[in-house]
Amino acid sequence: MSLSLNDILFYFLAGVAVLSALGVILQSNPIYCALSLALTMVSVAGLFASLSAWFVAGVQLIVYAGAVLVLFVMVLMLFDTKTEKRAFSKGIVSGFFKIVSAAMIFAIAGGAASMSGDARFSKLTGVVSATQSTKDLADLLFKKYLFSFEAMGALLLFIAIGAVALSRIQGGTHAD
Amino acid sequence: MGKDVFEITVNILKMFVIFLMMVQAVPILVWLERRGSAFIQNRLGPNRVGPLGLLQLAADAVKFLFKEEFVPRQGVRFMYFFAPIMAMIPGALSFASLPLSVPIKIEPFQMLGQMWGPYTFAFQGYDLGIGIVFVLGISSLGVYSLLMAGWGSSNKYSLMGAVRASAQAISYELALSLSLVGILIVYGTFSFNEIVAAQTGPLTFRAFGAEHVISWLPNWGVFYQPLGAILFFSATFAEANRLPFDLPEAEGELVAGFHTEYAGFKLLMFFIGEYGHMMVASALLATFYLGGYNIPGVMPEDVLAFWQGVVGGNLASILTAVTFHLSLLLRIALLLWIFIQVRWTLPRFRYDQLMNLGWKSMLPWALFNVCVTALWVWFGHK
Amino acid sequence: MPTSAVVVDSISSVGLNHYLILSAILFSLGVVGVLMRRNIIVILMSIELMLNAVNIAFVAFSRYLQNMDGQAMVFFVMTIAAAEAAVGLALATTIFKKFREVNIRYFEHLKG
Repeated sequence: MSLSLNDILFYFLAGVAVLSALGVILQSNPIYCALSLALTMVSVAGLFASLSAWFVAGVQLIVYAGAVLVLFVMVLMLFDTKTEKRAFSKGIVSGFFKIVSAAMIFAIAGGAASMSGDARFSKLTGVVSATQSTKDLADLLFKKYLFSFEAMGALLLFIAIGAVALSRIQGGTHAD
Repeated sequence: MGKDVFEITVNILKMFVIFLMMVQAVPILVWLERRGSAFIQNRLGPNRVGPLGLLQLAADAVKFLFKEEFVPRQGVRFMYFFAPIMAMIPGALSFASLPLSVPIKIEPFQMLGQMWGPYTFAFQGYDLGIGIVFVLGISSLGVYSLLMAGWGSSNKYSLMGAVRASAQAISYELALSLSLVGILIVYGTFSFNEIVAAQTGPLTFRAFGAEHVISWLPNWGVFYQPLGAILFFSATFAEANRLPFDLPEAEGELVAGFHTEYAGFKLLMFFIGEYGHMMVASALLATFYLGGYNIPGVMPEDVLAFWQGVVGGNLASILTAVTFHLSLLLRIALLLWIFIQVRWTLPRFRYDQLMNLGWKSMLPWALFNVCVTALWVWFGHK
Repeated sequence: MPTSAVVVDSISSVGLNHYLILSAILFSLGVVGVLMRRNIIVILMSIELMLNAVNIAFVAFSRYLQNMDGQAMVFFVMTIAAAEAAVGLALATTIFKKFREVNIRYFEHLKG
């Protein structure tokens, strides 16, 4: 089996994603967790691009890596918790069962995926240019899913108000 | 039909050349900044080393290389060393995705006893169809460099600079992206090449069912989006952490902000990142609002015909590309000079003023711009 | 217009299954993170990880079926993720202001 350029790209990005995801759950300093998660996000954006979902890849970079994660890192730096005393939950037996349950979730999902036969990607039909696929996506969002899209806008507004209200309890956004 | 060795080699070399262009512009910009600030403040500036002080840069570079390497004792080694590298990545990647000139067409020619086929080399690193989204996404990663520098230095001034930088970047990214939405609505594409192609010829716009042509103005984006251009330009100052928005390194309060603990070549890399950001911002502004590499009133075919009259063959095509590239560089240089002039003219904002400007003033105006543009396009096409 | 033809249309042995298994791995790592970690912010990050895994599956199916609906779903998932991060971080800030620590065990003291 020879590896094409696409395969090498996939295995590289997937490896980076899995390793950095391991970093998220294993490191005890939350800042390192956040930076590992940023690496995961970037490699997931690369995976989206390798599936020729260009616009989604760009939005992934802007929204996740550029905004959400920066917010996480900023909050962590404001808290200034260097390393945690107890990063993981107590109890060997319960921890064992937790890991086993996660492994079972993986077994179900991964087993279902690998048993489903050899599903290859067919060649993209029609226009593959990024501009055209973005236009198709916009058509879907603003026609078929218009109501959900508008509902999302309303949700974001409520969330923004709620977040401001939460952080204004006891005056101001600053600790103390 | 694959790509042959010649094409791949040229494409790889092209990436190096574009990267080196960005890096090599930095010493010139530093010189321009020092001489320019001296000119503005009625001083002389560096004028001893070489003609006009131009070799001062070489002297500085040598000095930077021989500085002592050190890490703050309680710092985080990995972050401390990785932050300056990270600072250069967004600028380099974004600059490579911008179209810098018309494509070069190479006719078939004979080399090493073999025919090498007709080629078309785009004068840009790589052409992504979603250029605008890519550049916004990549440049939003630049904050990590500042955050890592701040955290890795283990210094309270660095950390405060880093936190300020990230807050500022998140705030102004909204205004920056929203001011570009107007451009997206007007041109209906994410691709830089299509935007540049749409800006050729005289100013033509549709309003209320009729088409108006103003022959003495070029068809530039700034005439469609004047408010968007102003908002975009202001937001790029904040994104590049330049004065009047340089709160992350306000030396009156934070010593030197996030790069307090840096010296030598690592500091220089931060400067390359900052100037690279400025260059990308200027190039984006030129591409979106000032007609890209187009020369007003002149079509690429005319220039090609002119050069074919002087020199024949492939050289004419290359010279045409260089001509248009110079036209883009002229715009970039002018915009960079505005960056420098603003830095040495305006005072710095206070932090609450900065946040008020971003959230309460620029964001509503950008939203207003989007609404007005959408209505204008809607009525224009009716 | 050839837009990055290298990764679009080459014959490759990587199919839908590879992407789905990657998605399953990332999802279960996220589950482990949510179950095992004590820091609220790290738990939030693990949830983001799970949502990302779901996004990979959505986009892979969208590519396989040549249907853009999957990518539209990714948008909704991203919106939810951003909203969740905003509220979660606001809650974490509240907890930190009260207890000077962001451990999950303080959540029960928040009522009232």
